[in-house]
Amino acid sequence: MKKVLKPLIAVIVLALIPWLGVTYGKLDYVFAIIIPYAAGVILALGMLFRLVDWLRRPVPFNIPTTCGQEKSLDWVKTNTLECPSNPFMAALRVLSEVFLFRSLFRNTKAEMAGGPKLVYGSHKWLWLGGLAFHWSMLIIVIRHARFFLATLPVPIELLDTADRFLDVTVPAFYITDAVALAAITFLVLRRLSDAKMRILSLSTDYFPLFLFGAIAIVGISMRYVTKVNIMPVKALAMTLASFGFSEPEPIGALFYVHLFLVCVLLAYIPFSKLVHMGGIFLSPTRNLPNNSRAKWHKNPWNPDIKFRTYAEYEDEFREKMKKAGIPVEKQ
Amino acid sequence: MNKFSKFLVALAAGLAVFVAAWFFMQAGHYGSVSAHAENSPVAAAAPAPGGAPIDSSKCILPTEYMRAHHMQVLNKWRHDSVREGNRTYVNPQGEHFDKSLNTCLGCHGSNPMFCFMCHEFANVKPTCWDCHLSPMEVPQ
Repeated sequence: MKKVLKPLIAVIVLALIPWLGVTYGKLDYVFAIIIPYAAGVILALGMLFRLVDWLRRPVPFNIPTTCGQEKSLDWVKTNTLECPSNPFMAALRVLSEVFLFRSLFRNTKAEMAGGPKLVYGSHKWLWLGGLAFHWSMLIIVIRHARFFLATLPVPIELLDTADRFLDVTVPAFYITDAVALAAITFLVLRRLSDAKMRILSLSTDYFPLFLFGAIAIVGISMRYVTKVNIMPVKALAMTLASFGFSEPEPIGALFYVHLFLVCVLLAYIPFSKLVHMGGIFLSPTRNLPNNSRAKWHKNPWNPDIKFRTYAEYEDEFREKMKKAGIPVEKQ
Repeated sequence: MNKFSKFLVALAAGLAVFVAAWFFMQAGHYGSVSAHAENSPVAAAAPAPGGAPIDSSKCILPTEYMRAHHMQVLNKWRHDSVREGNRTYVNPQGEHFDKSLNTCLGCHGSNPMFCFMCHEFANVKPTCWDCHLSPMEVPQ
C-alpha cells in the first residue's frame, strides 16, 4: 500500500504548493512565469540529453522483432508490415506502433483457471485503455492550442468541434474529458485489482497516473464547475507562447494548481518512464528493417582483427609439415 | 486479410456510421427548429405573474462573477424560461430581472462588440447567435 499512498500524497502536496503560494504568498509571478519557463527548459534539455545518450548507444546487430514472413523468394508471400524489408515499411511499423499500439494488441494474459490449469488468452483491455488514454490526452493537449494561438487553425478547430459535438452542457462538454478520466481510472484499477500487478507496480507507475488524474480533474473542474475567468488565462498563455515576461492579471488559485502540476509533469518527463514518448521512435526492434539476409551488417565498433588464413599458415609451415608427413593442400 | 486489416476495416466502417449519424443529427437539428417552435407548449405559456421589471441600471450579479459564470447563468435562464416558464430572476439583493437575453443586451447591446471582443480573443464560439440576433446584426 505504501507504494500507492506515497505518490498519492506527493501529488496532493504538489497541488497544495501553488494553492498556498498564490492564496497566501502572492507568488503569482513565480507560478505563472518563472516555473513554466523553468519546466520548459528542463524538458527541452532533459530530452536533448536523453536523445544524445540514446543516439550514442551502438546498435551492433540487426535485431528487429518479426511477426510475419520475411522477404524471401518471389513466390513466397511476404508480410511487409510485420517483417519490413525496407526503411519505409519499418517507419510505417514504428508509426503504427505509435498511433495504434500494435504490440499491445497482441497482449496475452496467463491465468490459473480452476485449479492447476494455466490458461492463456487474448487480453485487449490494456490496449483499449491505453489507446483511449493516450489519444484523449493528445486531443486534449492539441485542444489547448486555443489558449496559446491568437487564431485557431482550421484542423484544430475541426478537432475541437468534433470533440464537443454532443452539444450538451454549457460550456460544451468535451468527450475526451470523460474518456481521459475513465481511462485513467481503469489504468489505476488495473494495477490495483490484480495481485500480480500489485507486485509488479512501483510507486513510479502510480505517480504519473495520479498526476495526470489530478491535472484532468482540476482542468475539468475549472471548465464546468468552479469556473475561472478565461481572459487572463488566455493572456498568460499568449505571453508564455511568445516568451514574454509580463505579469499576469489575477487568476484563480485553482488555475495555478493546474499549471503547476503540468509544469511538474513536463519536468518529470525526461527522467521517468514517460520518456517513452521519445524513446519509442528509437527502439531498434521496431525501427530496423529485417534485411539481415539481404544486407551485411557490420558491427560499427568491431576492432580491426588481423586474420590468418590456412593458406598463409601452410605457406609458413609447408616444409616442416611435409617432413612430418602431414598432408598439405599445395605442393 | 489478416486480423489487423479486418480491425482497420471495422474501425473505418464504424467511423463512417458515426460521421453519417452526426451529419443527420445536425441536419435534423437545423431543419426542425421552426417546426418545433410552432407547437411548442412554451409559446403558449403565460408571462410570469406580475411581470418582471427590467432594472437596466446595473448588472444582475458582480462583474467578477459574471466574467466567469455568465454562460452558466444564461444556460440556466434559457432552461427556466423555455422549459419551465419561469421568467423572473431574483438576485441575492432581492432585485427582479426578466430572464431574457434582452435583459443583458439592455445595457451590453450598446457596444456591438461587447460579446465578441472576449469570445474572439479566447477562441470561444457560443451557440447563442445560432438562434438569437447578435448585437452585431442589429442596426444601431
